[in-house]
Amino acid sequence: MKKLLSVILAVMLVVTAIVALCACDFGEDKLQITFYHTMGADLQKVLNKYIEKFEEIYPGIKINHTQVGGYNDVRDQTSKEIQVGQGPNIAYCYSDHVALYNKALAVATLDDYIASTEMVEAEKFGNAEAMPIGLTQEQIDDFIPGYYNEGKTFGDGKMYTMPFSKSTEVLYYNKTFFEQHKEKIAVPTHWWCTEACPADCKSGLEKVLREIKEIDDGCIPLGYDSEGNWFITMCEQLGTPYTSATGENFLFDDSRNYEFVKRFAGWYADGLITTQTINNDYTSSLFKQTDKSKSHSYMSIGSSAGATRQAPDKVDGDYPFEVGIEPIPQIDPNNPKVIAQGPSVCILNKANKDEVLASWLFIKYLATTPMFQIEFSGTGYVPVIQSVKEVESYASKLNSANGYANVAYLAQKVCLDQANAYYTSPAFEGSSEARDQVGDLMVNCFKEAMTKKDSGGLTTAFMQKAFADAVNECKYYIGQ
Amino acid sequence: MVDSKKQWKAWLYLSPALILLLIFTVWPMINTFIMAFSEGYNGMSAVAGEKFKFGFGNFAQVVRAGGPFLKCLKNTMLLCFITVPISTMLALLIAVCLNAIKPLQKLLQTIFFLPYVTNTIAIGMVFAVMFNVVGIHTPHESIGIINSVIVAFGGERVDWINITSSYWANMFVLIVYIVWNALPFKILILLGGLQSVNKQYYEAAKVDGTSRIRTFWRITVPMLSPMLAYVVITGFIGGFKEYSSVVGIFGEQMGPVGSKGRLNTMIGLIYDALETGDYGRASAAALILFVIIFIVTMINMYVSKKKVHY
Amino acid sequence: MNKSDNNIDNVVSEVAVSEQVTEQMEQAVDQISQPEQTAELKSAVMRERNMQTVTTKQKVGKIFVQIGLYLFLTIMALIVLFPFYWMIISSFKTLDEYYVNPPTFFPTQAFDIKNYAEAFTTGSLDILFFNTVYVGIVSTVLSLVITVLSAFAFARLEFKGKNVLFACLLATMMIPGELFTITNFQTVINWKWTETFTVLIIPFLVSVFYIYLLRQNFLQIPDELYYAAKVDGTSDLKYLWKIMIPLALPTLISITILKMMGAWNSYIWPRLVAHGDAHRLITYGLRNAFTPADGQMYDYPVQMAAVVMVSLPLFLVFVFLRKYIMKGVSRSGIKG
Repeated sequence: MKKLLSVILAVMLVVTAIVALCACDFGEDKLQITFYHTMGADLQKVLNKYIEKFEEIYPGIKINHTQVGGYNDVRDQTSKEIQVGQGPNIAYCYSDHVALYNKALAVATLDDYIASTEMVEAEKFGNAEAMPIGLTQEQIDDFIPGYYNEGKTFGDGKMYTMPFSKSTEVLYYNKTFFEQHKEKIAVPTHWWCTEACPADCKSGLEKVLREIKEIDDGCIPLGYDSEGNWFITMCEQLGTPYTSATGENFLFDDSRNYEFVKRFAGWYADGLITTQTINNDYTSSLFKQTDKSKSHSYMSIGSSAGATRQAPDKVDGDYPFEVGIEPIPQIDPNNPKVIAQGPSVCILNKANKDEVLASWLFIKYLATTPMFQIEFSGTGYVPVIQSVKEVESYASKLNSANGYANVAYLAQKVCLDQANAYYTSPAFEGSSEARDQVGDLMVNCFKEAMTKKDSGGLTTAFMQKAFADAVNECKYYIGQ
Repeated sequence: MVDSKKQWKAWLYLSPALILLLIFTVWPMINTFIMAFSEGYNGMSAVAGEKFKFGFGNFAQVVRAGGPFLKCLKNTMLLCFITVPISTMLALLIAVCLNAIKPLQKLLQTIFFLPYVTNTIAIGMVFAVMFNVVGIHTPHESIGIINSVIVAFGGERVDWINITSSYWANMFVLIVYIVWNALPFKILILLGGLQSVNKQYYEAAKVDGTSRIRTFWRITVPMLSPMLAYVVITGFIGGFKEYSSVVGIFGEQMGPVGSKGRLNTMIGLIYDALETGDYGRASAAALILFVIIFIVTMINMYVSKKKVHY
Repeated sequence: MNKSDNNIDNVVSEVAVSEQVTEQMEQAVDQISQPEQTAELKSAVMRERNMQTVTTKQKVGKIFVQIGLYLFLTIMALIVLFPFYWMIISSFKTLDEYYVNPPTFFPTQAFDIKNYAEAFTTGSLDILFFNTVYVGIVSTVLSLVITVLSAFAFARLEFKGKNVLFACLLATMMIPGELFTITNFQTVINWKWTETFTVLIIPFLVSVFYIYLLRQNFLQIPDELYYAAKVDGTSDLKYLWKIMIPLALPTLISITILKMMGAWNSYIWPRLVAHGDAHRLITYGLRNAFTPADGQMYDYPVQMAAVVMVSLPLFLVFVFLRKYIMKGVSRSGIKG
């Protein structure tokens, strides 16, 4: 027994020792570029394909990519590594991540590369011929402006990120239902009617909601997925203060913002809308619902990347209704504003400038290759360059998109058509905390409006406190 | 017989432990102080070469009015002062009952120990499911087993952990979970204590026909007092470090959806600051927590010294 | 085998006897050290001596009390067990049945094994299991070696400053470990240890508590044995291996189990230093894999199936090694 035990222990010790020695790195001559992202298996397949193509052009560069986890994991991992002067070459990022990394002055500015008129000499990275470094004006103009400009929202006018897998919010509506009731309602283009609207305006959202509620009392006409986005978008459309990347960061505690929150809270109290948080699920679950005895909706505002989630399941081999997709309602339909969301990529500074250059070449390659953009967006993201529409196979797919089988293309079409409407909010360390806080703020005001429905509703005092608390939490988060 | 060769040998044997302790215990203790008193110390800025001056700024930042400190302290204190007495009393009751039976004792003892060998986070997910009200407005409407029982007895269903839940509903779930989780260890210790109480006392009491309740207060509790003191003190120390159970039920946002951080705890406060690399603030929070735990433990020790019969 | 081995075997049996003696001694000492209290108790008993007499009524009462006891214990046991029951039962339900109102207490629609398969793949439980078991085994083995060596030094060897050092070590037990996390985090970053198994194993190898526990156990082994061994020319290490370790085996097993449970339950540290796919441990992985991210929805039955699978190994270990776990825990007072 004792013998056996000692043998087992000895074996375990040896195994431990061997494994503790770890696998050694067998380095290659190639310039190693690491890329941290959050892509699932499907996207990685597309990525691998284009990495291969890129490495054919630059045989001297090797791209290693890793799925680190979710977006926060990428942030935590990257920021941890930056603190010891490590870090990947390229990382998926949201703008607040970049602001965090930049505390350590770790993110490379891209302006010099973009503007560069120099060439990568032949053979530098094993490339057969000299390759341009910079972007041509034509290439720059090809980007959807809102997505491209997101890289410059850090308050110093410099470009830090390139758009990668972007999306926006769109309005999904039950087209079949809207056509049935076209005497009463039209697809909403603005949030509420003003004096500028004709008396018989059918496309003010507020009116549409009440009409739908009248037609079908058992429904919640609209579900809005992201409360945070809603708040920010309203600020942008109304021109009211939200945040700033410089000076005082958190400006959203403004009485003009109380007004729309109060209005929407009233809609919620009247049973006209719900949100993802309140619903405890994506509002697409309501939109898809065909059993009218259960909670259901006729409109849903959600990410264009979630288009396939909005498509109803077939019932007896047939689609129960047609999905329509349009831009979200506006304050001024002539000057539309829709949010640009989804991650970008940033390049980290390295002592070896070649690494930074190679990273830039890779990012540039992906961003300017229409076929990559098309294949990558197949899962629901929006291509970031407009020239994808000139690729015939893609154009025909967009044109034949309908609200039954290929909702995803329909969503992409809408997104590409509103190319000039994208805005991005200022980027700084607390920007995503601010988004979370205004989202919670909306929800809390909605709840208050519902509970106090018969006793005065949402008061200004409540909102003042809620807004002040939210600002306070934001400030604490970034240590102000 | 302290010869130099022996000395050398002793230090050799101790070296792995001492080296690791120096690196992972002693240095952190020193460094925590350094960072806590470096105003605005941030890991990221430190890389950029920023210098930090000595001061109490981090502490001020942690406890500043309007910040989450009071909320976290309140949550932690409430959890501590509610769950420790409840779980201790319940554990004492169960242990005494267990001690008084013969058949099935081992089986029941095993059952009561089961929660100990579970994963705090995993079982937290089970509790969340039991209390969950899912999709008030959705096709998937489920009110959870606990509410079903309440409704079956003619009660009104409660939103325990979702968006419309109240603070006390959240607290209730947490308390139930923490007590459930804390019972096994306490039962084990107290039962162990009971079994080692000299049977003679009980027999004397039995012969005398002393009532059970009297026996309990006059013999059991005094004899158990060291163990009781032990479980209360460890309970308080553990209680002030509550974190995983909140994560288990509410996830890392430490609160129901729409009320991020509502149930944040002192430990949560430390981890929050780590997210943005604010190690100075995190260290200050850790030191504050340490002082609180120290004071509470001292009070506990003082009280038990007065009451415990050794 | 040679003579010295025989000798050692004899010595071992001697120790077994002497252990019993020590225990009895300790009990005796315990009783002696409580003279006041014993007196107090006796007087309390005396006072009540004449108040009541034994009657048959009491016997009937006793039966009722027993019934009451069992009733109470059974109810409490059911409450304790209920979450486990609910977890298992939910893991077999289809999503539809899960949402049935009021909930069914037994899956009626189908016994859905699919959930398990799905949980296994979506959670990549195989990797998580492997990582956790690997980290658990390696850190346990290393930890045992370190603990045994240190405990031996403290229990058997003489050196300057021994008592001061031991007191200092004990003092570190009073300080909450959370205080160390931040710096350790920086240390491992500086050493580029993040996202390795090393980072999950090395920093928490030394537990002062385990050293303390084992030292106490070693101290119970009489000195005479050590000197006898010395006379026989047995080396320290051989003595340690042949006598000390076998005698302290129960304590070592307890330490092993606690350490393994620690690996199984650790959350905060792994989350901080190794959240990449390759080195993810089970608790963090579980929480992460089944919290809906972009575009996913809660699938509770699958989530519950994952929890069952994660809990099962611990249960099995518990069932087989109940005695050691309970012994270990009762001395530790810490979870994991």
